[in-house]
Amino acid sequence: MVAPVDPADPAGAAADAPPDVARPGGWAAHRWKWLLCAPALTVLILAASGPLLIVVVYSFLTPGTLGGVTWEFSTDAWFRVFFRRDIFDPDVVTWNTSHLAIFWRSISLSLQTTLLCAILGFPTAWFIATRPPHTRTIWLFLITIPFWTNLLIRTFAIQEMIRNNGTINTLLQGLGLIDGPIQMMFTDFAVLVGMAYVFLPLMVLPLYAAMDKMDFRLVEAGYDLYASRLMVLWHVILPQVKPGFIAGSILVFIPAIGAYVTPRVLGGGRTMMLGNLIALQFGQGRNWPLGAALAMLMLIVVVGALIFYLRTVGRNDGERRV
Amino acid sequence: MDARVQDAGIRGEIDIAGVNKVFGQGAAAFHALTDIDLTIATGEFFTLLGPSGCGKTTLLRVIAGFEQPTSGSLRINGAEVAGLGPNRRPVNTVFQSYALFPHMTVAQNIGFGLKMLGKSKREVEATTADMLRLVQMEALAERRPAEISGGQQQRVALARALAPRPRVLLLDEPLSALDLKLRKEMQGELKRLQAETGITFVFVTHDQEEALTMSDRVAVMSAGRILQMGAPTEIYNAPVNRFVADFIGETNFLVLPVASVNGATATLTLPGGKPATARLPDGMRPATGADVTAVIRPEQAAITGPEEAELTATVDGAVFFGTDTHLQLTLTDGQPFVLRRQNRPDQPPPATGEKLGLSLAPGALRVLED
Repeated sequence: MVAPVDPADPAGAAADAPPDVARPGGWAAHRWKWLLCAPALTVLILAASGPLLIVVVYSFLTPGTLGGVTWEFSTDAWFRVFFRRDIFDPDVVTWNTSHLAIFWRSISLSLQTTLLCAILGFPTAWFIATRPPHTRTIWLFLITIPFWTNLLIRTFAIQEMIRNNGTINTLLQGLGLIDGPIQMMFTDFAVLVGMAYVFLPLMVLPLYAAMDKMDFRLVEAGYDLYASRLMVLWHVILPQVKPGFIAGSILVFIPAIGAYVTPRVLGGGRTMMLGNLIALQFGQGRNWPLGAALAMLMLIVVVGALIFYLRTVGRNDGERRV
Repeated sequence: MDARVQDAGIRGEIDIAGVNKVFGQGAAAFHALTDIDLTIATGEFFTLLGPSGCGKTTLLRVIAGFEQPTSGSLRINGAEVAGLGPNRRPVNTVFQSYALFPHMTVAQNIGFGLKMLGKSKREVEATTADMLRLVQMEALAERRPAEISGGQQQRVALARALAPRPRVLLLDEPLSALDLKLRKEMQGELKRLQAETGITFVFVTHDQEEALTMSDRVAVMSAGRILQMGAPTEIYNAPVNRFVADFIGETNFLVLPVASVNGATATLTLPGGKPATARLPDGMRPATGADVTAVIRPEQAAITGPEEAELTATVDGAVFFGTDTHLQLTLTDGQPFVLRRQNRPDQPPPATGEKLGLSLAPGALRVLED
């Protein structure tokens, strides 16, 4: 342990010296080191918590007549998130079914989008992960190309594909497969397709990362032990890429539940999602407190879903420690 | 397939005939295996030995079914398996990296093959328990691979491959990741397991000592071909060519002129002029006066007094190996010679520059085909 220190080698002596902590006053020096990240912390607190705090405060205020808020405490916005009063008899309170329908559609469509992305993303990521290493970069690059185009333009491009006299319907009619156009625009289906298209790379990339780390010899071991292709997929590959699925699902589900552009363009006014409902309150609705309350609700739903998901799916994935 | 025709072909547990494996095509084609003919008997401990890149692992992967041969026939227990996937061959592999499933416990790993074969839950559990006992891992059955040591992972990999009771167990350099002491221990363990189970073992290694100590038969490979196949003593004592002689153990190569040829032996003239008898390879008849390469193992020469010395050499240095010392010598004509002498307290190593007389063990000198 105690190596003789060469007096002619002060650098070596410094390297052999005990670390800071053992010196008198070393702990104090350590205690204040976090201050070095104070600038970053300041930005985080101001940029992340500040606006959030404003949203919370606004949700408990009274709407102004021309938008904005008047500084008067009210829980009316939170009440109206879930319930509505009868126009003629304010004492009659019923569930706000249109809001509930939108919540349900948002959650359901986001889950479906996540599932669709997982189903489409898995083979895509597998394809890339099994290419020769030098070509993988090219495939990953191709995956990211859609990000280079504005989301709105890509969404309108999808509209061009699926509208009644768009590419798909024209083609099917030209082939004589259908008589009249299939109504795809302004349906949940259109929103689902649009969101899956937009968010697919967010599923492919973490899945690819998980597959890239995967030990492909385990696949051989599976085959060697008499597993069929399906059994290898189920017992060997899926458990290995599970972290990728978890990350991908989070990355897809969270933006999907708050999606605004896709449901606005492809769903029209008919299939509104949470994001559209919130935007509406800050726009034509002129009810900022309600919008703020809805936004807070969405945050709560997402964080709740996330915790639930990580608790149930993230468990038992072989990270048990002795 | 006609059963009689199939039976007529049975010669051993594994019959490989004319197997070639080519990776890539055209100018980039790489011949990983060339014309491999091989029969491995039931219950044999067979070793494929060679330097890295010699094709031994490719051959093992062809037997396992991870690679399909480009041409040739491969039979396991008399049934043609070329074209079948690894999950349809009665063969299991112990991988170099062990390839244990990290998300499963030790017991689940061992039971996996049986589960995939559709065995009942009770049977899987019973066999898994037997296997855990066989490799002495009962106490760690519920651990995950990341929570056990390398040597223990090795045992689990073995148990996992043995649990479905394959006809053939393939071992791809399974001991290379272990330290020396553990490796020695596992070598004994492997021999014990093979004796207990009676399963044919095909073992791949680049470690010639491992090959010699463990195998019933060894095939020495180089550049995709089998150069020599035989019992360890045969491979060591009668290497067929320079590569085998050089790869297996340490060897002195001496270029010596032929004095006379008499049937299967030749008389060579040693540096200093004394004659020595050397065995000739089959069919080789060198011309009198021609130079041939002869080999002799370092331990097959001894230091003698000047009167019976066949060779005289000068000591260049000595390397101490514990049990013995390697003396680096130079013969009178300048050729190097290594002599291996067992260490005894009453025989201190000779000093550098000292002149020694050497005698060669009878029959030790062999001529090599070049």
